Amino acid sequence: MTRLRVSPPLLCLLPGLALVPVLTVVTRSFHGGGVETWWQFLQGAFHPSLDPALLQSLSSGLQVTVATALMGWGLSIVLGTLLGVISSDVVWTSFGLTTAPARILRMATALPRAVHELLWGLLLLQVVGLHPWVAIAAIAIPYGALVARVLRDQIDSIDRQTLNAILQCGAGAPAALLTALLPPVQPILLSYGGYRLECALRSATLLGVFGLGGIGTELKLTLQSLQFSEFWTGLWLLMALSVVLEQLLGLWRRTRQQRASQWNVVAFLLITLLSIAGGGWWVHSLFSESSTTLQWMVPPLPSFAELQRASAELPWGTMLEQTLRTTLLAAGIAIGLPPLTLLLLPTSIAQKIWQVLWTVQRVLPPPLTLLMLLLVNLPSLSLAALALGLHNAGVMGRLLSEGLAQQSTSLQRAIEATGAGSRQAWLLGQLSPQSRAYLAYGAYRTDVILRETVVVGLVGGTGLGWMLIESLSSFHWAAVVLLIGVFAGLTLTGEAISDRLRQNWLQA
Amino acid sequence: MSTLLELRDVCLRGRQDQRLDHVSLSVCTGETVALLGPSGAGKSSLLAVANGSLKPDAGEVLLQGSPLRQRPRQERRQVGTLWQELRLVEELTVAQNINSGALGRRSLLWALVNLLWPLEQRSCLRCLQQAGLEANLINRSVTSLSGGQRQRVALARLFRQRPELVLADEPLSSLDPALVEELLSTLLRSSPLDAFDTLPSATVICLHRPDLIDRFDRVIGLRKGRVVIDAPARQVSDQELQALYASAQ
Repeated sequence: MTRLRVSPPLLCLLPGLALVPVLTVVTRSFHGGGVETWWQFLQGAFHPSLDPALLQSLSSGLQVTVATALMGWGLSIVLGTLLGVISSDVVWTSFGLTTAPARILRMATALPRAVHELLWGLLLLQVVGLHPWVAIAAIAIPYGALVARVLRDQIDSIDRQTLNAILQCGAGAPAALLTALLPPVQPILLSYGGYRLECALRSATLLGVFGLGGIGTELKLTLQSLQFSEFWTGLWLLMALSVVLEQLLGLWRRTRQQRASQWNVVAFLLITLLSIAGGGWWVHSLFSESSTTLQWMVPPLPSFAELQRASAELPWGTMLEQTLRTTLLAAGIAIGLPPLTLLLLPTSIAQKIWQVLWTVQRVLPPPLTLLMLLLVNLPSLSLAALALGLHNAGVMGRLLSEGLAQQSTSLQRAIEATGAGSRQAWLLGQLSPQSRAYLAYGAYRTDVILRETVVVGLVGGTGLGWMLIESLSSFHWAAVVLLIGVFAGLTLTGEAISDRLRQNWLQA
Repeated sequence: MSTLLELRDVCLRGRQDQRLDHVSLSVCTGETVALLGPSGAGKSSLLAVANGSLKPDAGEVLLQGSPLRQRPRQERRQVGTLWQELRLVEELTVAQNINSGALGRRSLLWALVNLLWPLEQRSCLRCLQQAGLEANLINRSVTSLSGGQRQRVALARLFRQRPELVLADEPLSSLDPALVEELLSTLLRSSPLDAFDTLPSATVICLHRPDLIDRFDRVIGLRKGRVVIDAPARQVSDQELQALYASAQ
């Protein structure tokens, strides 16, 4: 009997089936009470407020977000590069030393990257109080650990023969590492670093939604007070900034591809240092009038008995089930929706419209999408998954359109010439060559979504995130420690699975 | 003639077999040695142990009388290797790759600057020309070169290293006859090259071409990790060579 094998382009579409249960629940829990509000919300998009006082307030909020993102990103690159280098085996073996310190460091950086930046923000808020540095550190810590992991994986996966050959020429270990490893590692570091800058802007906005200042706070306040024209002014500004940043990073990527040179590293280093210095100065000048000082209030470490008691109290089964269900549904929407929409309407005009919608989706933090959906819906896990899925579909959609834009249309035209319909030609001639890379990125995105469940959990009342905010608000430190530990374990397991899936897709 | 390199009772274990089995040999200054043997005989392992990149499980490797692996790395540059798989840094230019041969004599700052501007271009150019490459290739990326040109870049890097002992691991494989002749002439020449301050004191070339042994002073034959022939080239008979390869089949 022939074994059923699903082809990669179909596998890109199948996750979209997650929309069926989600939309069923969402349609059933729909209530008409908020329809008028939604209409006002949509109208606001075309009539953004241009009130000077609002523009000034949004401008200073945007400045806080950008300065926070720049400094947090810059610090994470420096921290991640240092940690990545010293946690890679090859560096230690080149000096003729044991790799034990590298292994210890790898274990030590697993926890910081498993905890979402929002959790870092909320935890640091408890420890040092409300201060501009909280948001910066909340970005720099997990991002630094993520950069370290990517860099270390790259360094350790490079063929060591060239390094050994240069060491054999009598070169010292630092000079040999620099010559043999920097040139092959730099394209990955630069492109991943650029990607993390986009992420930092999104994270800085998200942290603002949860009260850490910036444009996120402004957006949340205007949405909660139903001032939609003001909300849209902020959102348009944020979108314009995101598009400019994406275009600049795209230009930088293309320039690098045309002129591969080690000077790119120098330029990247300068940008990083300028981001730290400029971001620091910017944050300082923005907050110079408010005399907030860092306080240091480390929460008491819970005793073993307290941990045991908290463990017995927490509804582990429900929480884990809700977290995993939200992840799977949101990942299905994020992966399946972009190719599905392009397949249904493969015209170039429709593609442009989808691109604008994807930009809105990825710029809008998931908690705000969820708040908007809550205007016409009752709270549910499906609604949280939809908000998270739509946000990540914005990221996946952009990746897919970039991949399709760089690809030749000759295969699609050849299939059309056989008399196939435009959808069939798009599926086989356009999506098919992109599908493995798309699925590999989808595996990585699922891992990100698992981390982000905490974000919608905080708003939507589901999963570990909800319980975590409850425990944090009630200073129940034993529950906080347990929940963070379990969440970290869960995300590290997810990371290992997504790594395996990604490698399978890329090697197949 | 003084002894330059000496292997004393060297053993190297593989996963399933003994890659080098109690190998003892020496290479003296001024010698050119052909290292022969069927595939899997241990030729590449012997070169890797001889240049210090592999640590033997037993025995000693001495360079000018002192243990090679205990010497500071800068001193180990006296042994230069032309690797079978070349081992060039693909992302760098020809000049930058050639300069990586000089890192043992230069500082970390020099290595850093070399990644941005290829330094000491005149020295690079001399090495490049003596390896038989055109000067206009100096700033090209090594990925844009042909297989033969890449081999010459690796050779130019070796010249830039200025070693006293040259070890070459099957440098003639996949080269056409004209290139084989040119490369052998360069590696086995008896007059100093401009690129070297002095002539390399000795050269050991691992090869699969018994017909070329007339060009060498001495032949070492390896079979299953053991030295089975070690004699002046002119004394090695065709029967011995046939037996060396036949026994492996």
